[in-house]
Amino acid sequence: MITFPLIQIRLHWLFAVLTATSFFLFHSLVNASPQYDLVPVQIADNVWVVEGKRENFSRDNGGNIVNSAFIATEEGVVVIDTGPSWQYGKALHDIIRETTGKDINRVLITHHHPDHTFGNQAFDVEKLYALPGTISRLKADGDAFADNMYRMVGHWMKGTEVIVPPNQISPGKLTLGKHEFELFAMTGHSGADLVVMDHTSGVLFASDMVFFNRALTTPHTPGLRQWQQELEELNTMPFSLLVPGHGPVSQDASPILQTSAYLDWLDTLLQESAEQGLTPSEIMSATIPDQFNDIAEVRYELVRTISHLYPEYEKSALQTLANDL
Amino acid sequence: MLSWNLIMYPSIHKSVRAASIISLAVLFSLVSSKAFALPEDIHKSPMWQYNIERYLGKDADVVHTDQVSLKVPDFAEDSAQVPLTIALDRFEGDIRSIVSWVDLNPVPHLFSYQPHQRAPLTLALNFRVQQATTVRAAIQDENDVWHIASAHVDAAGGGCTAPSVTASNPHWSDQLGNSQGRYFSRPASNRLKLSIMHPMDSGMVENVPIFHINEIQIHAVNNDKKMDEESLLGEMSLSESASENPLFVFDFAGDDLNQYALRLRDTQGNVFKRILGDT
Repeated sequence: MITFPLIQIRLHWLFAVLTATSFFLFHSLVNASPQYDLVPVQIADNVWVVEGKRENFSRDNGGNIVNSAFIATEEGVVVIDTGPSWQYGKALHDIIRETTGKDINRVLITHHHPDHTFGNQAFDVEKLYALPGTISRLKADGDAFADNMYRMVGHWMKGTEVIVPPNQISPGKLTLGKHEFELFAMTGHSGADLVVMDHTSGVLFASDMVFFNRALTTPHTPGLRQWQQELEELNTMPFSLLVPGHGPVSQDASPILQTSAYLDWLDTLLQESAEQGLTPSEIMSATIPDQFNDIAEVRYELVRTISHLYPEYEKSALQTLANDL
Repeated sequence: MLSWNLIMYPSIHKSVRAASIISLAVLFSLVSSKAFALPEDIHKSPMWQYNIERYLGKDADVVHTDQVSLKVPDFAEDSAQVPLTIALDRFEGDIRSIVSWVDLNPVPHLFSYQPHQRAPLTLALNFRVQQATTVRAAIQDENDVWHIASAHVDAAGGGCTAPSVTASNPHWSDQLGNSQGRYFSRPASNRLKLSIMHPMDSGMVENVPIFHINEIQIHAVNNDKKMDEESLLGEMSLSESASENPLFVFDFAGDDLNQYALRLRDTQGNVFKRILGDT
């Protein structure tokens, strides 16, 4: 009569402890958000770059394939791009504070692609700026990008939402304290590409207008030749260091030249293939010239580019037919 | 004698019966071993056997082939437009018919092709994928053996149930049937390329009924423009897995052919006739 309730109490306790333990274990497993190991590299006075891997989106890299950057000015920090996920954005935000000890003045989003703008959530929304074309494109494509990112990088994306920058930015000079920037609106890579020339440090942030040792991507390019022409303009800018959107920082114009040579090869390949009547699947296995062999993901991106652009090349090599009934 | 007969007949009867039972059993085991002889699918698709029985028949004699190359990308960049090229120029048998399907699509069948006067050397078109899937091309030879080429395509999916791009264009019906094409004289073949505006509605999008090109005839008309049994090179029947605004490619051998007519018909009876080649 006395032992029975005691056992009951003990069982209750055991049950409670087990439940709590299993809940805790389960919760920690599910909640174990992977951590980005972001390392800021100082490339000039007050200028840092966080270089991403030269890979495609994967569950191993969490989409950290992109270069982000930040510049400390007297009026606060200018951030260039926020990365592929909320988690990345938080990590970037933390290292900016740790490295500079300053508040963020503004965040510039170079274009609407997810790896450059899905970390927006970690920043004060009122400080997000982008070109009007970037804002409208992100509004249109953001949700589809999010679906694709969740599919490709999985749990790294946890909680990530599309945040459209509310502030429009226009090309021209931008002065913050003694720091002088010049902004350029280009189109070649995504239809609206912001390029930032930091005249004070001599660093050119070329965004995805320039890829280096990582194959360029073409889902929203208005045209390979248009892109190439804008690269000539980029090449006239007075930079001492160039930060490409993907790939290593360079002291000379070799990233621009590589991007331009690759665009040239792509355009020629697609045009000649269309003229010969080839099908898209027939050119996906095309020989890649030796000079591009060291570019990461080049075959993968060639297949994507053919999917994006070849139908137009193919059609322009055809003739309009009469409806011969 | 009678008694012998009486004794012998039942025993003959018995042996005949035994023999027939044995032969039936042998036959049955042959038939069933034929079914069991379906080679293993290297892609391990759950629909391997089911789709073969559905499109090639229950007793189809099936082998894998490397004489046919089925070219598709490893992944679908656009699930509504996945390019497929089937190269048949290395196939050693006579081609009786060709069937292509997409294993995991809601309607897997993509097309069937029936050669008449001349077998094609290449067939190409775009298809949709609803999810990552295996794609097949089966070629029936003169001995009724089906030679199957397979490939796997990874995909985000949704290509079959995505609204057509055409549907967002209010003037699409004015452009229906608008075509571009070209005849390419190539070293080993003549190539026909035809692109035609057609929504190719699969019937799987809410409130949009099925409406797609379902029959194509390819004729060698050689200046007289007569289209009959004799000019008919081949016929293709298409299903819901074919992509919107299709672009078809057909290769045929032969320097003697220089002009072709394609006759396309859709599920609502619209007929589009297009001439390709020297004029």
